[in-house]
Amino acid sequence: MSRGRLARWIHGAALALVAAYSVFPIYFITVQSLKTPQEDVFGSPFYVADPTVENYAELLAGPGTRVRGFVVLPRVPFVRWLANSAVVLGASLVVTLVAGVLAAYALGRLQPPGWLWWRRALFATYVVPHTILFIPLYQVLIALGLDDSHGALILIYSTMALPFCVWILSAYYRHLPREIEESALVEGATPATAFLRIVLPMSRNVLVAAALFTVGTVGNDFMFASIFLLDPTRQTVAAGLGVMDVSLEELVAVAGVNLAAIPVATACALFARGYVRGLTAAMVEGA
Amino acid sequence: MGGLTQVRPGSVPHGPAQAPAGSVRRREILVAYALLTPAVLLVLGVLAYPVAWEVWISLTSFASRAESRSFVGVANYRTMLADAFFWRALATTVVYFVVTTLAKLAVGVALALLLARPCRGRALVFLAVFLPWAYPGGVTVVAWYWMLNPPLITSYSVAVGHWKHAVDGVAGAGAYTFASVALFNIWRGASFTAVFLLAGLNAIPRELFDYARLETRSAAQRFRHVTLPLLRPFLALAVFLSFTTAFADLANVWMLTGGRVIFPVVGTYAYWLGIRSGEFAEAAAWSLSLVPLLLLALAVLFRWFDPPREAPA
Repeated sequence: MSRGRLARWIHGAALALVAAYSVFPIYFITVQSLKTPQEDVFGSPFYVADPTVENYAELLAGPGTRVRGFVVLPRVPFVRWLANSAVVLGASLVVTLVAGVLAAYALGRLQPPGWLWWRRALFATYVVPHTILFIPLYQVLIALGLDDSHGALILIYSTMALPFCVWILSAYYRHLPREIEESALVEGATPATAFLRIVLPMSRNVLVAAALFTVGTVGNDFMFASIFLLDPTRQTVAAGLGVMDVSLEELVAVAGVNLAAIPVATACALFARGYVRGLTAAMVEGA
Repeated sequence: MGGLTQVRPGSVPHGPAQAPAGSVRRREILVAYALLTPAVLLVLGVLAYPVAWEVWISLTSFASRAESRSFVGVANYRTMLADAFFWRALATTVVYFVVTTLAKLAVGVALALLLARPCRGRALVFLAVFLPWAYPGGVTVVAWYWMLNPPLITSYSVAVGHWKHAVDGVAGAGAYTFASVALFNIWRGASFTAVFLLAGLNAIPRELFDYARLETRSAAQRFRHVTLPLLRPFLALAVFLSFTTAFADLANVWMLTGGRVIFPVVGTYAYWLGIRSGEFAEAAAWSLSLVPLLLLALAVLFRWFDPPREAPA
């Protein structure tokens, strides 16, 4: 009995430790972002004695300049950056999921000759480090008339997220019993409606998993955003923070990190359970 | 594989239309290719040209300073392989990938096993573990930079500076930066791996564990002989996904610091050669030098998590 209690206690302590380890860096930057410049220099890095939201307010105040001491600092169009990020993220999600679902259904269910190799080929592109393909990628974007536009990022992010999405969705469709659709066909539905009304809703969790993975891929990029978007009014948050250059060393930059991350992290947290279920369903259960 | 072109008995609609099975299947195949088109165009269409371009350029003498571009065969590769710096960069790259991947797997497995046991507060801890990955890495990288290379005036910059000199003094210049990039990647990647493996653990029927409890003597034995083999496809896929994020995180940090990350890695050095020095041909050769390794990894991993013949579902 006491051995069981000891084990439970150790388990609980381990869980607490794990939670602390996971959250610490985020806690740390949040502490910094709530500091005044004075406290940034003289305070403790681990807590904030006199919290202020001035760094956040600063970002949301819009473009223009501000004066601090004898220095004139440019303000950044942060709200614009947030909106741009949302547009890029939303469009990438739509493109990835639509193309992904179609391809996955073809590979997992219709299984044309050679589907196994198509699936592998698509997945293999995931390991091609896009980061080494800058120069020719840039040529492609210019040829498509997409330089310095959101379209460039949407295109690249979709190609980065698609391989994994196609993989898990097709694994799911492959395991899904055929009888489910066939009963709908017997009732007189066309294959398209059978898919939209029955198969798609059934794969909800896997779609959530694919969507969150796409969000992760898009959110993770800093490099492409900062290279392909030069016009400050079109930049996403990642690109914008990167070119803030000198002010990267300012508290505002850290506040910007949180401001951009909180909506994304919240959305991810809301769907976290569906995400795990979706991954499980895709990999093994099939229903 | 042999059954691919065959019509499955179940795929013939039971409707009154008595189309011959072959034509139904033929239409299905056409539809399948049509549905595949957008994804294939997107992925292969966007990547085919850049990859082909890199391959072609690596065989020429293309550089911003060269007057002409001529075909030179494998000369660029020969120069690269003779360069001691290349081997150092390759070694660093391999060490970086191996270290981060192993660490992510170890931490990820530990976290997943901890979270798999039901207990109070598990949902909260799960969310905490999920957070490093959910927090967008493209912006968190700024925070990481703040933490490990703080701006000069912050209160803790002196402490971090001492720490940095101590680490570099023991392990050589650049060690601290290497460690901080690796830590960032492990912190984020382990979170993803843990959630991924948790999904895998959820899929294993409870009875298997109960049975294993009867058959094995210790928890370690159970882990080695039951949990690990069952998780194998998930582990393989996690390794695979780890590669790309390892590269992306490195590129992010490198980009953010304006190339101040001084340990040489194949990918970033290729970027340096290409964009900064205009040695496009050499840069292409450097970039492509990783391809054999990646292909090898792919071949191994496909064997592990996508065996051609699966047990019938």
